[in-house]
This record gives sequence, structure tokens and C-alpha cells, in this order.
Amino acid sequence: MVREPLPVRPSPRPVSGKRDAKHVRRVWEPYQILILTWQGGVRRLCWLPGRVTYARNLLLGSSGTFLPVKGFFSMATVSYRKATRIYPGTQKPAVDALDLEIQDGEFLVLVGPSGCGKSTSLRMLAGLEDVDQGGIYIDDRDVTNLPPKARDIAMVFQNYALYPHMTVYENMAFALKLRKTPKHEIDVRVKKAAQMLQLEDYLGRKPKALSGGQRQRVAMGRAIVREPQVFLMDEPLSNLDAKLRVQTRSQIAGLQKELGITTVYVTHDQIEAMTMGHRVAVMLDGVLQQVASPRELYDRPQNVFVAGFIGSPAMNIKKVQLNQDGAVFASLVLPLTREQLAAARAEGGDNQVIVGFRPEDCDLVSASEGGLPIEVELVEDLGAEANVYGHAAVNGSNERFVVRTDRRHMPDMGETVYIKPRVGQHHAFNAATEQRI
Amino acid sequence: MTTTPQQKTPGKPATPVRTASGRQGAARSDSRIFGGVSNTVLAIWAIIVIAPIIWVFLSSFKNTEEIFNSPWTLPGSLRFDNWARAWSKAHVGRYFLNSVLVVSLSTFGTMLLGSMAAYVLARYKFIGNRPIYYMFVSGLAFPVFLALVPLFFVVKNLGLLNTYQGLILVYIAYSLPFTVFFMHSFFKTLPNAVAEAAMIDGAGHAKLFFRVMLPMAKPGLVSIGIFNILGQWAQYLLPVVLLSSAKDKWVLTQGIADISVNAGYEADWSGLFAALSIAILPMILMYALLQRQIQAGLTAGAVK
Repeated sequence: MVREPLPVRPSPRPVSGKRDAKHVRRVWEPYQILILTWQGGVRRLCWLPGRVTYARNLLLGSSGTFLPVKGFFSMATVSYRKATRIYPGTQKPAVDALDLEIQDGEFLVLVGPSGCGKSTSLRMLAGLEDVDQGGIYIDDRDVTNLPPKARDIAMVFQNYALYPHMTVYENMAFALKLRKTPKHEIDVRVKKAAQMLQLEDYLGRKPKALSGGQRQRVAMGRAIVREPQVFLMDEPLSNLDAKLRVQTRSQIAGLQKELGITTVYVTHDQIEAMTMGHRVAVMLDGVLQQVASPRELYDRPQNVFVAGFIGSPAMNIKKVQLNQDGAVFASLVLPLTREQLAAARAEGGDNQVIVGFRPEDCDLVSASEGGLPIEVELVEDLGAEANVYGHAAVNGSNERFVVRTDRRHMPDMGETVYIKPRVGQHHAFNAATEQRI
Repeated sequence: MTTTPQQKTPGKPATPVRTASGRQGAARSDSRIFGGVSNTVLAIWAIIVIAPIIWVFLSSFKNTEEIFNSPWTLPGSLRFDNWARAWSKAHVGRYFLNSVLVVSLSTFGTMLLGSMAAYVLARYKFIGNRPIYYMFVSGLAFPVFLALVPLFFVVKNLGLLNTYQGLILVYIAYSLPFTVFFMHSFFKTLPNAVAEAAMIDGAGHAKLFFRVMLPMAKPGLVSIGIFNILGQWAQYLLPVVLLSSAKDKWVLTQGIADISVNAGYEADWSGLFAALSIAILPMILMYALLQRQIQAGLTAGAVK
């Protein structure tokens, strides 16, 4: 999942709106000057961004492509720099010194259990939540104290938050109208967005006359027509049914790829995170745990929480004793390297280590091959494969294990099977710090 | 209508389907009894309300003799001249227009100021929010008679006695407490996410209010608007105090009172009933036309 670097733009995009007219470093392109002269009047300088997009649509409209060409207009980077949010009346920060750099055009997913601060982080970027310490930058522009409307962002809400008294068309056109975009340009942009989202037949309807999936698409359309610097999405799929969710998931990912607009996406669903994000940021209790590509996150989780959170069914994670070769699982010894052993004993490791292996990273073996004996409690037949749940006595306590296995070797309930993690596929963490070693 | 008593019957939680039809049958007959009772009560209530109105209408077509000799019969003929006489000779037409002018302006002012105040009080946090709100609400408990004398002098000192503006301002002040109280709770129920979406879309506070929140509060606005129109249309005490010596500016209620008070030996009863009908008719029409608006759930589809 390594993304190609996007073309570096030569000059920063003129930030939209007249509010910034004074302090924006603008490098005028010849065509912009041409348009300005054509439009006439210095007063129009203020509305430049709108005019420019208009001109662009003229350029591209005839060929029928509306999609912004990557690099033609730069999107934006987003940086959280030690951004902290402490809700009034609480001691513990909801978001604790978040440091996060999001690349231009990147799809970053914030994921974590409920209450981990992911939505708060997004709302801080949107300007809906105060930043108590640190700062937030969009394209090196300090937006920490700017109101939402001055940030050039668009947001898709969990419950869509459509304007109930407006038609679908008006919902999508609202932001453009507020920016005094010319009528015919609004029309072009809304119609194109509607076409992309298959909403053309519903433009005259009010939100209450739409299904959940259609409302979700209108919310997306409202964000798309804006052509903002950053898209923010706060669990936009959680109100859809399972099938539609999977379908819309790939649509959103495809749309983002087409538009190339920097996107921050919040979800509690790790499958959404893994399938959609270029990179995934895992949060817990307001603290960023790890930011990495989905593959990296899966293969090299930085700590015990990430290891347990990513992957379904979850990784088998057990705290066991060390010996000179590795981690002792009753009859089984998982080998650790010399460095890992040293790291495990450091920092209060107390001769213990936390070891994890994924359900699919182990085999069912025969009794003679020295596997860990497990009594099967439950077998989930998923069609393509099966999850086997069972328990085994490890160091005197009864521990639960999950193994993913081929359907052909599906054991029965109550049976005892022997599992053996594949060599080199297990993860080791310091028992005290819970960090990867 | 008939299902509500069933849901509200205490000690009878929704019976699971499989626990026999007997109980369900009992619940259904229960509801039928309650439905019957409630329908009867409603029917009686409707008669109490509607009968006098019909009687006034019928009487407005009778002559004085018929009104006294056969009050319960239909009028002998449709005497539209009663209405014409009331409209022109008793100046009810003029008073009617005065009422329309005063009530429309004051209702507009009440709705505008009331909803703005309620919106800010309901959705913005600032120091003094609660005290201001409680001051508005305490206005509800303030009897108008207590304020009448000071009010008269305040209006007089402002030079607004016997003017439309004076009456309109007093109407607005008089209607604000309930309007703010009502709209406050209404704005509280509107989804926060929609306001946030509008802010992200680029709306400032004013645009957010006028283009998003106010339209969403339309059902509340319509109900409180009707309430205010009805209340101000029927207001008698305030115009009597504030417009006493400018007869050309009198409102409808004063005009009607004038007909019955200036009766002398031969009262114009049929004219009085005609004038009453003229006063009642627009209110009934308005209620009938706007009824659906009041019920319409406008926020449906906003979230989820």
C-alpha cells in the first residue's frame, strides 16, 4: 500500500475567500491574470478561487470530465502539532498532544474504540472543537483559532446532517451559494457531483423522501461540490446496513482516489480502516498509538493494544515466562532472538514476556509434533475457512485461543487439537511497557 | 386515537404475542371502552365549542325580533344587510383593517424578536444566559392589570399614546415571554449536527439562523404564530387603555364593544352578531388552512 508521491505543486493554491486576501502568499499564474482581466474590476480579486474553478470547469467541461486533475490544483497537507483537547470540567485530555502529519492527497483513517478521541481529533480539525494546547495546520497555515468556515474543509457527518427544508440540489448548492459562486457554475458543479453519485433523479427531493444510502450520498455530494482542501468524514457509514456499507466503502475510497483530495476519516471499524486508508492512525484514550500503512500495522504492531485491536478475530496475546531460548507456552517454546530476550528482560520485564500470534499464523498439528493442546469450544464455519475457539492451560491458568483453519480440517466441538504457531510469525512485547521488542 | 389508551393503561405492559389471545382481546376491548369514552368526551367538547359559534352565525342573519322570539330556529331569510350595516355603519370595516394592520405588524415583530432571542438563549452559552431566560419566563406570570397604569404612563411619555406604533410595541412586549419560552424549547430540540454542517459550509451566525435554523423551526413558528395572532386579535384591554381617545384607530374588539355599549333603547343585536361573525371568521379560516402546517414534522429526514 505504498502510495506514489503526488506531483509537487509549484505554488500554493490561493486560499479561498476574501477573509484571507491580505496575508495569503499568492503567486499569480498567467491564466489567472487573464481571467481577472476578463472578469474586470479589482473588487473581483476577493472571489478569485470561485472564478478560477469556473474557468477550470470551462476548460474541462467540454470534454465531459469534471474531475479535478491531480496536481493541477494542489490539495493540502494537514498537521496536528501537539494538539490537545481537555473538555471543561475534566482533568484527563480527550486528545493528548496529538502529533500527526497527513500528506497531500492522502486518505488517513483514525481508528480506535469508542471514547478514544478520534472524533474529537476530527472535530478539532473542523473547528467545531477548541484546541487547548498545540496547534493544527492546513498547508502550513495555522488554523488553530480559525472558525470552521475559514478553513476550507468539508465534512460528512455520521447522521448526515442534511438541511431538511432544502431539496437535494439546494443541500449541495448551499455552500457554494454562501460563497457567492455564479449560478451557472453552481449548476454545473452540482449536476456533475450528482452524476458521480447517481443522485440525478433525486435532485428535486427533500431528504425525508430519500433512503439511508441516498442521504449518505447527498452528504458526500455536499462535500464534493465544495472542492475543499480537506475532506473530513466522521463514521459516514455507520448508519448503513451491512451490505450497503461494504458497497459504499469501496465507492468512497474510489471517489477519494479520483478526486485526490486529502481525507481524514474516522471509524471504529477496523475493517473499514484497513480497507480504505492509505495510512491508519490507531488511538486509545486520547493518545496516538501507531500510524502506519494497513500492512505495516498488521505485520508490525507497535504495542499490545494495536496488536489486539487490528485483525479479526483478534490476535492471541498471552503473558508467559521466558527461558534462555524464548517464550514458554506450556509444552511449546516460541523462539526469540537474543536482542528480543534482552529487551524483554529490560525495563521491569520481570522475566516475563507478552507474546502474540494471529489466528491464521498457526497450524493444527498432530499430537506428536509438539503443539499446544487445546480443547475446542466453538467452531465458526465462515464458508471459506473456519475459526476454531478453544482453551488450554498455560502456566496454571486457563487461556482462550483462536485459530483460523481450512474447512477441510475443521475439528468438532469438545475435541482436543494441537496448535503450533508458524516460525517467525509471532510478535513479542515487553511485559511491563507493552511495547514491541 | 383509539390505540393511545391501550399504550397508556397502567399495569398492562405490552403483552407478548404468544401469551394467548385472551389477554390481547381484553386489552382490545379495554381500548375500545377508553376509545368510546374519549370520543364521547371529545364530541361533547366539540359541541360546547362549536354550538355557540354556529348560533352567532345564524343570529347574524336574523332580525332583532327573530333573535328574541325564536332564538333556536333558522333565520327566516338570509339578511346580508346585517353584515353590510355592521361593516359600514358601525365602522367595523375600518376597525377590521386596523386590527389586521396592528396584529400583522405586531405578530411579525413578536416572531422575529422572539425567535431570535430564543435561538440565542437556547444555543449559545454566555454569562447571564439563564438570568435573561428566567426574566423572559417570569413575564408569563406577570398579570397585565398590574402593569396597566405604569404602562399607560410609559407609553404616554414616549409620545406613543393613541398611535398604532405604541400598541404594536406593547403587543410585542406582551407576547414575547411565551414566544421565547416556546421557541427556546423548540430550538433546543433541533439537531446540533445540522448547525455544525452549516457552519462548515460557510454560514456565519446570521446566515446560520435565517437560512438553516429558522426554516427548521417552521412547525414551531407556525404554532406560536397562530397562538400570537389569536391572542392579539382578541386583545381588548390593551387597546382600550392605549387607543382610548383615537376612535379612528380602534381595533375590532373595541368596535364590537362599542356596538353593544352604545345600544341605548334599541340595540342593534343582529348587527352585533354580524360584527362578531366578521371577527371570528378570519381566525377560523386561518386555523383551518394552517392546521396541516402545524402538524407537519419538518425535521424528518435531517439526521439518519
